[in-house]
Amino acid sequence: MLPTKVTIISPDTQLTSQLHLRLHGIGCRTTVLSCKNSVMDEVYTDTPDLLIIDLSDNFEYGKNIISTLRNDSFFSMVPIIGLLSSIEESIPDWKQCPLDDFIGQPINFNELFYRVSLALTRLKRIFDNNPLTRLPGNTSIQMAIEDALGTSTAVCYVDINHFKPYNNTFGFTLGDEVIRMLARIVLNTVCDAGRGFCGHVGGDDFVCIVPLHRAELVCKTIITHFDAVVLDLFDDEIKQRGFYYGTTRKGEQENIPLLSLSIGVVPMNMHKLKHVAKVSEIAAELKKRAKISSGSSYTVDNLSS
Amino acid sequence: MASNQSDLKKSIMDTKTLPTLPNVIHKLNSLSDSDSSSVQEMAKIVSSDQVLSARILRLANSPSYGFHRVSTISNAMILLGVNVVKSLALSSSIIAMMEHDSIGLWEHSLGVGSAANLIAHRLKLPECEEIATAGLLHDIGKVIIKLKCSDVDKEIQLRVTTRQIYSLEAEREVLDTDHAEIGGWLAKSWFLPDKLSEPISFHHDVEKSCNNRVKTAVIHLADVLIKSSGFGDSGDDFVPSLQNIAWDILKLDKQLLDELVYELEDKLIEVKNFSFEMLSN
Repeated sequence: MLPTKVTIISPDTQLTSQLHLRLHGIGCRTTVLSCKNSVMDEVYTDTPDLLIIDLSDNFEYGKNIISTLRNDSFFSMVPIIGLLSSIEESIPDWKQCPLDDFIGQPINFNELFYRVSLALTRLKRIFDNNPLTRLPGNTSIQMAIEDALGTSTAVCYVDINHFKPYNNTFGFTLGDEVIRMLARIVLNTVCDAGRGFCGHVGGDDFVCIVPLHRAELVCKTIITHFDAVVLDLFDDEIKQRGFYYGTTRKGEQENIPLLSLSIGVVPMNMHKLKHVAKVSEIAAELKKRAKISSGSSYTVDNLSS
Repeated sequence: MASNQSDLKKSIMDTKTLPTLPNVIHKLNSLSDSDSSSVQEMAKIVSSDQVLSARILRLANSPSYGFHRVSTISNAMILLGVNVVKSLALSSSIIAMMEHDSIGLWEHSLGVGSAANLIAHRLKLPECEEIATAGLLHDIGKVIIKLKCSDVDKEIQLRVTTRQIYSLEAEREVLDTDHAEIGGWLAKSWFLPDKLSEPISFHHDVEKSCNNRVKTAVIHLADVLIKSSGFGDSGDDFVPSLQNIAWDILKLDKQLLDELVYELEDKLIEVKNFSFEMLSN
């Protein structure tokens, strides 16, 4: 299968018009970006299926674009093929320049097409990310929790209170938007905390793993940010009232509070934790406790023994 | 003229980025280099610049993120995250620092944003932050005119000074449109919500606003008050009169207006200090 959207970043107009023509010939829609100033704007606003970046002209500049994209899970899955001026003896430091593939110049176009289609096939194979939020899914979450067992980290289970009735009342398109918003909030907060993991279990359930001493701060930030963003979702009248009239989980009509969060925090340095299943069991119990209070709240497991 | 207008409209719809003041970028970079930089600190700096604010709102509301209702800078920044905002700022093109009128317009926009915020709080309106953002962005059309048709901009300025007319009139004579309409086009093509695009489009003609009249009226009032205070430089030498409809919508009376003017004077000292800090190296 060939991509629909390919973005080409290069200042070399002769090269780009050639690439544009050739890729167009095999059914790709191409965007050519030459102006340095708007490259990130463009890539962020209209995310391509595949990126071809010319590294022969300005290696440092290209490297920065690649690392910026790789550091954001929203964009990290976009395959990037680098165009190198020549293949030399010294092997580049790929960690500094995390490409998916490369091709030397002058370009052999058949080889390029091979690489383009291979990059896209590979993408499908290794993808357990949630299609809505592009966050790692359950397999990755399980592995991340297993790795965290016994370390001084905390696993935080995040879910949205009164999400089902919101979905029922306002429709799933708006519901999905809320899910994507929460995904961004959790991800950004985890990134800002320095290091950690962020995954999407499914529906309105998320998991993040952060250093234990930062866990409460992370929860507070996620809650503050979510509570602020939620205000963009309701009109003035509902905001002032604090609830809306909608359909509950059971299909009954009643007053429903605005969206809020419950977070259950499980410190991973407890002895009783031997298995991933135990972690989610404790988290479920903690979330239940957090849900008792109205509005957003988090509960830390203090039964460590 | 008609072809001129449609050409202009097309070139605005194609606008992906606009130049920002270098100091704003510099301040943002020095902040994000330190580990402790928070969304709130960054939001404060971003909210001082209409162009960067508009670009960040554009991105948050763009199809690749799929959020359609983000109308405040702080929420846009929460959703995009510090790293994306930083890389966006780094990829900004920059206004040549010596351009006096660009700084004047930057200050005017900052002033109207602050005034709109003050009025919204004083009148106990909901969504004060959205109103402040609309105030900050209300003259974004002027930035586009300067950038996209600098020759025409000189002609507009010439007409304003020689014939002593409002820049709005001069723009209509020369371009067959004006900065408010142009700003509205940009707001639409940058996916900004109605809460922001209506006050931008109609801040000189409140009556035309359908769904966001109160917000539009606040921006109109804030614009008039800032022009009369002499803060910044919008490009007009004269203060336009306050429209009756805005007066009615906001249920103003003379005493309330006097109080607003008085409070604004204090506020502007604060804003001036902030502006001084942002513009100093």
